[in-house]
Amino acid sequence: MKKKKFSTFLTIVTAMALLAGCSNGSDNPQQGASSNPTQNNKQTEEVTQEAPTKISIMTRLHTAEVPSDKLEKLIEEKTNTELDIQWVPDSTYNDKVNAAFATGALPMVFNGELNTFRSAIRDDQFWEIGKYLKDFAHLSNLNENVLRNMQVDGKVYTLYAERPLARSGFIFRKDWAEKLGLDAPTNFEELYDMLYQFTYNDPDGNNKNDTIGLTDRSDMIYGAFKTVSSWHGTPNYWGEKDGQLLPEFMFPQYIETMKFFKKLHQEGIINQDFPVTSKEDQRNLMITGKAGAYIGTMPDAVGLQTELQKVNAEATLDVFNRIEGPEGFKIWMATQGGAGFLFPKSAIKTEEELLKILTFYDQLMSPEVANLITWGVEGEHYTLVDGRTKANEDQKMLDRELKPYSGAIAIGGLSTIPGLYQAKWEDPLKQKAEELVMDNVDFLIDNPVAPLESLTFNEVGARLQQMINDATFHFILGEIDEAGFQAVVDKWLADGGQKIIDEYTEAYNASN
Amino acid sequence: MSQPSTSTATLKSNSDLMKRILKNTALYFMILPGLLYFFIFKYLPMFGLVIAFQDYKPYKGFFNSEWVGFAHFERLFSESDFLMILSNTLILFLMNIVIYFPVPIILALMLNEVRLQLFKRFIQTVVYIPHFMSWVIIVSISFVMLSTDRGIINELFVAMGWEKVNFLMNSDWFRPMYIVQIIWREAGWGTIIYLAAITAVDPQLYEAARMDGAGRFRQIWHITLPAIRSVIVILLLLKIGDVLELGFEHIFLLLNAMNREVGEIFDTYVYTAGLKQGQFSYSAAIGFFKSLVGLVLIMIANWLAKRFGEEGIY
Repeated sequence: MKKKKFSTFLTIVTAMALLAGCSNGSDNPQQGASSNPTQNNKQTEEVTQEAPTKISIMTRLHTAEVPSDKLEKLIEEKTNTELDIQWVPDSTYNDKVNAAFATGALPMVFNGELNTFRSAIRDDQFWEIGKYLKDFAHLSNLNENVLRNMQVDGKVYTLYAERPLARSGFIFRKDWAEKLGLDAPTNFEELYDMLYQFTYNDPDGNNKNDTIGLTDRSDMIYGAFKTVSSWHGTPNYWGEKDGQLLPEFMFPQYIETMKFFKKLHQEGIINQDFPVTSKEDQRNLMITGKAGAYIGTMPDAVGLQTELQKVNAEATLDVFNRIEGPEGFKIWMATQGGAGFLFPKSAIKTEEELLKILTFYDQLMSPEVANLITWGVEGEHYTLVDGRTKANEDQKMLDRELKPYSGAIAIGGLSTIPGLYQAKWEDPLKQKAEELVMDNVDFLIDNPVAPLESLTFNEVGARLQQMINDATFHFILGEIDEAGFQAVVDKWLADGGQKIIDEYTEAYNASN
Repeated sequence: MSQPSTSTATLKSNSDLMKRILKNTALYFMILPGLLYFFIFKYLPMFGLVIAFQDYKPYKGFFNSEWVGFAHFERLFSESDFLMILSNTLILFLMNIVIYFPVPIILALMLNEVRLQLFKRFIQTVVYIPHFMSWVIIVSISFVMLSTDRGIINELFVAMGWEKVNFLMNSDWFRPMYIVQIIWREAGWGTIIYLAAITAVDPQLYEAARMDGAGRFRQIWHITLPAIRSVIVILLLLKIGDVLELGFEHIFLLLNAMNREVGEIFDTYVYTAGLKQGQFSYSAAIGFFKSLVGLVLIMIANWLAKRFGEEGIY
């Protein structure tokens, strides 16, 4: 089971790395591409007179092998640097960072989680870089809101790579829906109706009652629950009510979501043991044609359809994102800035050195180098079609030469690098899924506590959250009622929850 | 413990000891690697326990972190789930001792009675094999078998006209599932030492018993069992020494939202509340407390063993 989880985790992460560069943002990449590179060329010419800057970087490796250094050489050439990249397998990355941190062996740049290093940052172990950003042509384009989410006591210490803001949506069997005469659901009634009919109206036409509507798994965030919850209008982790910040589960919309799932569970519309279902098993229900819908990351539809069509060549999938709840269209926004590139003082001794490293990152955000690191070499890793990139079909070559760099070293993204190419997808389902991911941006729910800190939360938060998650499952499975859930919330408050609320509210009021 | 008396004894025989050491230098030299192993890997790391009394920060190290006294222990004891975790741990421990512990003994006695050597070896190998499988595999196999969704056991129940039983998500089934998996994986392996002890029994005793008309069960009861009694006691003591080492991996794999109230033990609690949140000091304090409980239990057990005239482990 552990292994399964690990492999699914790897899949998610690689998928994220792949898609990191395909969110929306720039209107006219052509124009940006033509105007900026010349500017950048001048810059690189200027620097080449100096000796190359040596930069050591520790970063996550999501592929099985250490990548070839072909791209590294090109980047070094373009930026006049000498890179020393330590590739650490993703599974052991955090341990390795902790060990390096404890022994004072951190490299000059590494990707770290703010929560882990917050106290060390306060202890002046890392360079504050926020104040330098405005002096750089490209770094100054970094999104201020994202940077604000990454602040520690109002100062910025990290550079970030863009991630899509909200990728969740509804994936369903198009062929089943057509057979039953249903359109993509646009509100909760239609959603329930579709799931119900998928379960009881024999969508696969074998005259047996052997299908279910929705397949879900034990994950409350990347599974169906959080997404359905945000369609209901539940706040994203935390929300404001009467001048104080409260956790999502103290809002009535959360209870409504639990009731919705309870109904699905009681009526046999959702897989009955979803609290112990792994992602692999969840996908299998879809692939084997037993389940009709999947709520989660929309671009996953492509992989699901490929597998599904191996079993049933006639099956097709469709994706949809706009499901209207009582408060209109809503979707939770993935917390940006939980992690970023940190610059330890133990490795970077002087401000001068720091500025040189920031210059390197500034160059990484120039369209020329950004395209190189994101898409590779034109004609080799990609070709341009209508101003968009079409990736080489040799996936193994891309995995070996390109992906580790774009996933682990690049910073910024489409909305901050005008002139960065967008992807061209052959598969219409992929195209649609990616478009809907961009469409989600129009109705995001922000997480107000992302830039805030609560010491009590750092101490007991994970354990308290587990209590609530357990209670949510108990409610959905009908083992406790609303009063029982309320009792768990009261216990949450007593065990430190109230303190977390107070601390967040105080920090929130202070920052506004 | 009996330290005062032994220390005076060693004082007296100090010169004797030196003489003996000099005489057997080669032998003592041979012990050295073992001693070094214990010193480096078992004793030195114990100094790390100081972080249980500190507000340990990795970048400050052991020497510069702030001392906080018993704050972490106070937090542990005032944790609202502390009693639940303690009782879960102790219940699983008792099940280990009462239900699992006798199984290898019975299995060894049964194997010993098998007359056909080939058959005996075959069975032995078969019961050993699960020991070499990781918990991940064992728990996964159980999941597949016990699932309500096409799991073979539930399919069988349905075929017999019974209700499906939700083994995986029912807190009542957590403990039985845990102990059955332990027996499945470890019982065969556990027989090795007993079988070795049984082969040491003098065959003349069995002959004499047969002459007196003792049947198979009488022979087991009056000869085999008393002969391996000291081995059983030692193994029991060692088992109690591991009291709270219930196997993080195993329990962690079995845990889910529906059975946490009976399945959460100290090891899993350390993981979610301590390590996952980077709270090394708190984790160390919990580990410290756990070891202390283990030490107390083993001292009681050892004392009891000695009272009943058996050899203890110290």
